[in-house]
Amino acid sequence: MDAWNKKHILGIKELDRSEIETILSLAQSFKGISKRDVKKVPALRGKTIVNLFFENSTRTRTSFELAAKRLSADVLNFSASASSLNKGETIIDTIKTLEAYHPDIFVVRIGSSASLPVLAKYTKASFVNAGDGKNEHPTQALLDMFTVKEVFGTLEGLNILVVGDILHSRVARSDIFGFTKFGSPVTVCAPPTLVPYGFEEIGAAISYDLDEAIEKADVIIMLRVQKERQSSSFFPTLREYAHLFALTPERMKKAKKNVIVLHPSPVNWDEEICSSLKEKLHPLILKQAENGLAIRMAALFLVGTRKRTL
Amino acid sequence: MKILIKNATIVNPNKVFKASILIEKDRIVSLAQRIRTKADKEIDAEGKYLFPGFIDMHAHFRAPGREDEEDIFTGACAAVRGGYTAVCCMPNTNPAIDNEARVRWLIEEAQKDDLIDLFPAGAITKERAGRELTEFVALKQAGALLVTDDGSAIKDPLILRRALEYSKMAKILVAEHCEEHALTQNGSLREGFISSKYGIAAIPAIAESLVVARDVELARYLNARIHLMHISTVRSIEIIKRAKKDGVKVTCETCPHYFSLTVDDAEAAGFSGNFKVNPPLGDKKDIEAVKKALRDGVIDCISTDHAPHSPAEKELPFEEAPFGFVGLETAFAVSYTNLVKSKILDLKNLAQKMAYNPARVLGLENRGKIAKNFKADLVIVDLNRQFKVTEKTFASKSKNSPFLGRELYGAIETTIHNGRIVYSAGADE
Amino acid sequence: MAKNQATTALEAADIKRILYQLAREVIEKTPELETLVLLGIQTRGVYIARRIRKIIQDIEGVELPLGTLDITLYRDDLTTIGPSPLVKETKIDFDINGKVVILIDDVLFTGRTIRAALDEIMDFGRPKRVELLVLADRGHRELPIRADFTGKSLPTAEDEFVEVRLKEIDKKDEVIILKA
Repeated sequence: MDAWNKKHILGIKELDRSEIETILSLAQSFKGISKRDVKKVPALRGKTIVNLFFENSTRTRTSFELAAKRLSADVLNFSASASSLNKGETIIDTIKTLEAYHPDIFVVRIGSSASLPVLAKYTKASFVNAGDGKNEHPTQALLDMFTVKEVFGTLEGLNILVVGDILHSRVARSDIFGFTKFGSPVTVCAPPTLVPYGFEEIGAAISYDLDEAIEKADVIIMLRVQKERQSSSFFPTLREYAHLFALTPERMKKAKKNVIVLHPSPVNWDEEICSSLKEKLHPLILKQAENGLAIRMAALFLVGTRKRTL
Repeated sequence: MKILIKNATIVNPNKVFKASILIEKDRIVSLAQRIRTKADKEIDAEGKYLFPGFIDMHAHFRAPGREDEEDIFTGACAAVRGGYTAVCCMPNTNPAIDNEARVRWLIEEAQKDDLIDLFPAGAITKERAGRELTEFVALKQAGALLVTDDGSAIKDPLILRRALEYSKMAKILVAEHCEEHALTQNGSLREGFISSKYGIAAIPAIAESLVVARDVELARYLNARIHLMHISTVRSIEIIKRAKKDGVKVTCETCPHYFSLTVDDAEAAGFSGNFKVNPPLGDKKDIEAVKKALRDGVIDCISTDHAPHSPAEKELPFEEAPFGFVGLETAFAVSYTNLVKSKILDLKNLAQKMAYNPARVLGLENRGKIAKNFKADLVIVDLNRQFKVTEKTFASKSKNSPFLGRELYGAIETTIHNGRIVYSAGADE
Repeated sequence: MAKNQATTALEAADIKRILYQLAREVIEKTPELETLVLLGIQTRGVYIARRIRKIIQDIEGVELPLGTLDITLYRDDLTTIGPSPLVKETKIDFDINGKVVILIDDVLFTGRTIRAALDEIMDFGRPKRVELLVLADRGHRELPIRADFTGKSLPTAEDEFVEVRLKEIDKKDEVIILKA
């Protein structure tokens, strides 16, 4: 296996296939740790990991926190809301202040897309992206790929269908980059107003018709619908959106028998997925969270044990 | 019921030829030089011309809200009297046609008498307020073929962008009334020498072309279809011509008054409210440009913008009168007289502009042409009959027309819809 | 590495004999055979552990519980080692509390691997006793660690490499010493 020599994990765009495979296979080992009595290994003992969350997220933050702790690292949680910070300058000040504690890793969630390289200039620490604006959410895509591989045994040649607000979704982007790297064709399904301009170039097929697109999907990734999008006229009403893009029992009948459904959570039951499907679909979605912890342990481990001689 | 029409000169969008046709139920079942089948009704159309039923993409039926000016029934009567068998009625009613229930209601109303096929246009935004999109997919499923906020342009380009993007999925046509409202406030007459001479608040020609340019650019950028309504100015036409050449998916329409009347006619009529319309009547250059654009195919369709207003409202000082005139009943005659008789267009072209192209733009099949298995929506016209436009010419509740008192050629004799005679000139008079 | 710099320290027959002897030693020294569990250290320690287990089964008719241990996450040199470690499976499906654990590896060298293994074992429970069994001891301890059961002592220079090859993955059984 090749040496891991990336200082940061910023996005799937920057990872090649073998690096992704390294993370996935490590995650498999880390999954076992959570089943032990002592759910801890000393791999990152003494390292300081700062959860720097400029956007609120209890789920992702606690997942990273627990991942860090299970690797025996010391965790510092720093949450800042947009109102308590002026954008730009004070974010840098925050980094500089925290740099005084010589952190090893920053786990960052921030509202501005593609902003991490700028922040990285002000610290020696490594960065793991927990979601930057609409750009990427690499650990989410990695856990999605991990989950798919667990079910299908492979990441190649599967038809992936991503449904929902692609325009505003970092999860969608990361998933698309990830699955296409392994040769699994991705179709995105959304109203035209929620498909980014020129998206055909990214390598995904575009469909406006879920009933048609669902027929050949092996994996369906449902994105959350944000109601604010209605008032910005991305779609006229939640009603029409759900009528066309929600996962309903009737639509599921058109899908392949072995299709799996993933969701980055939390699920708005009866908005993007009909609650009558909850019993069937929720277990795998919950499994994603378990896998997410293992993926994040792998990510922190790789970045935290990177050779320092470079 | 079987109807046989003999010896007609058939005007198809690609060919004019003499033939007979046999109608059964709602279809044309036979088209030949001679048809020997026995029919329940025979019409001898010797010396007359048979056109496909005209399709109006733009008329105001005022229901719900102003049934004093027009209702679905009288609107349909006006349509068939003008040879129209299908109409898109505009959504700027009170309340606006911004949801599927209202679309369905209008269609059901029209089906009661079945004089025409009514394809109500839905509004692009809720209440035509220009802020939130309507449910295009639901509107399409209810029977709307196009969406427009006609009466107003979409002021916010972001909303128009979303509408154009969304329409790709909904497969419904976005149509725009092109007017930069900031430039036309309080205006009633085309800006120019006459408006300046009389001090009448004016509407500049660029109010239309600015929005035409904007909309064409958006359609180009998004690779989306857009239809521009009642095009009337030189610059608008130039912009559309260039855009079409570049492959932008824009179609457009004009109205009979934009190739037959000028602001001078309004002056000559003493600024009667019957000459007030939006977009306003232009000058000779505009008329020439519109005619040329019709001939070159830059303008795809002729629509009427039929706008009934009660006499009380139209008999007001020009600046206070509401915009618009009735036009369903006179559209063909005005078009024939001003375009074909003056050799700008031939009959085939006229059939294209009034029937075939509207069908194509709206995505209607089996219409707009006279052929076997096509819908039996037809109109028999006497091109040689001259008539004077009077209030009796209009079946509409309103008679606000600038053509009152004029002599026109091309009288509608018989209109057939779904294989039934829905208008017959003889029966009326 | 030039081939002529390699010496064969143990051949297949030697390994077979040594493992047999080790198994017998374990049986003799451990009165409470039913409290015995075997833990093989990834990778070759696992294969050796399996062989030992088979031999004990053949002799005593008892199949001892076998677990595998990957010590990567407990190493003390994670940031300075070469290629990213491939973390293999750690699987201990049984309770080790109160058990006698025989920790099994192929070569005992600095003792750091064993130290890591001990830390990891402690995270799984509290064994009664942990004893170390190795196929070869090459000396040069850096920690106070010793084996309880040693197959063969191999004197080596610190900069030499000891390669254990097992037919399960290397097609033949042999132990080679390579000069630097």
